[in-house]
Amino acid sequence: MKTEYDMEPAERDYWLAQLTHLVDDLDPVPVGLVERAQFAIAIEDIDAEVELEAARWADQRPLVGVRSGAPGTITFFVGDLTVMVNVTRTGEKQRIDGWLVPAGEHGVEVRVADHGSTATTADEGGRFVLTEVPRGTTQILVRMNGGKPRTVVTPTVVL
Amino acid sequence: MGAVTELRTVKTDPPWEGLEGSDRHAACMIAAREGHKGALDVLVAELTPLVWHVARGTGLDRSAAEDVVQTVWLALLRHVDRLAEPRALVGWLITTARREANRTRQRGNGQVELLPEVAEHQLSTEPMPEAEVLRDERDRKLWSAFRRLPARCQELLRLTVLAGRAEYRIVAERMGMPHGSIGPTRGRCLNSLRDLYGTRDQDGD
Repeated sequence: MKTEYDMEPAERDYWLAQLTHLVDDLDPVPVGLVERAQFAIAIEDIDAEVELEAARWADQRPLVGVRSGAPGTITFFVGDLTVMVNVTRTGEKQRIDGWLVPAGEHGVEVRVADHGSTATTADEGGRFVLTEVPRGTTQILVRMNGGKPRTVVTPTVVL
Repeated sequence: MGAVTELRTVKTDPPWEGLEGSDRHAACMIAAREGHKGALDVLVAELTPLVWHVARGTGLDRSAAEDVVQTVWLALLRHVDRLAEPRALVGWLITTARREANRTRQRGNGQVELLPEVAEHQLSTEPMPEAEVLRDERDRKLWSAFRRLPARCQELLRLTVLAGRAEYRIVAERMGMPHGSIGPTRGRCLNSLRDLYGTRDQDGD
């Protein structure tokens, strides 16, 4: 007896082929995602004693993403930490103004693929500025001191 | 197992060379723990499609799914010394991707407090990038039908495609998908896809 889910083999193969088409052609892994993910995890100075936490970009991220190409403000957060980042073009490079909430004199590092990294320390109000930052696939790290040391890292964003 | 007989080979080949499936994943994980640069890159290159399709299967847009993929790999970096069973990596990735994707979806729009100047500039619903590839009428119908399936079906059918490939046989094992058999659950999802394909999306096309 046939059950309701039985399809003829030919029909089943047809729909499986449609699914293959959908997976491979209509919704492929984005070009460069593998490389961006490899860059994101290629973090130097990972200390086994320091907790590593992945931050999330807030939803307005596409503002400065690949698609708009326009600078603006983006936010990332993890746990109780929120970091607002304002990006301004300065010629070929850019200036990054940031604000950590809650404030703390934490280390901030900006890694740009193929361009090394730039680091600074936030002031007691949680503000930090990085100038002459190259453009490209970018990751931000916050090295938090005080209490249990932890490093917050973001997924990459194309700035 | 996978005994290498020539010492010459031992010196030059990475430890996962010639291994497949969970053996290969375990060898990469162990090499990564020992500080072998490139071991995690191998896993990222080979298993990103799996993580991607799990994230997309939950209904996230492509941009959010990209973040989920990267967050999952960052989580692996964090857990590389703690994952008790390196052979179970595929299961761990699927679970972690689902959890992270659902967290992203639940957060949704507006949950994050926006600065007024940011909110002001916030884009309205961005066209899905996949619209660019949906030029063909049949592709549009297929995509529209697929997106109306329950999330569980969408993930299952995406993984069915991957699991049918030699390099993802481990996914089939992990998900209990015997080779050459579709089984009742996937059969029902496939039926639903066919039935939805014949009906129009409410939004029209």
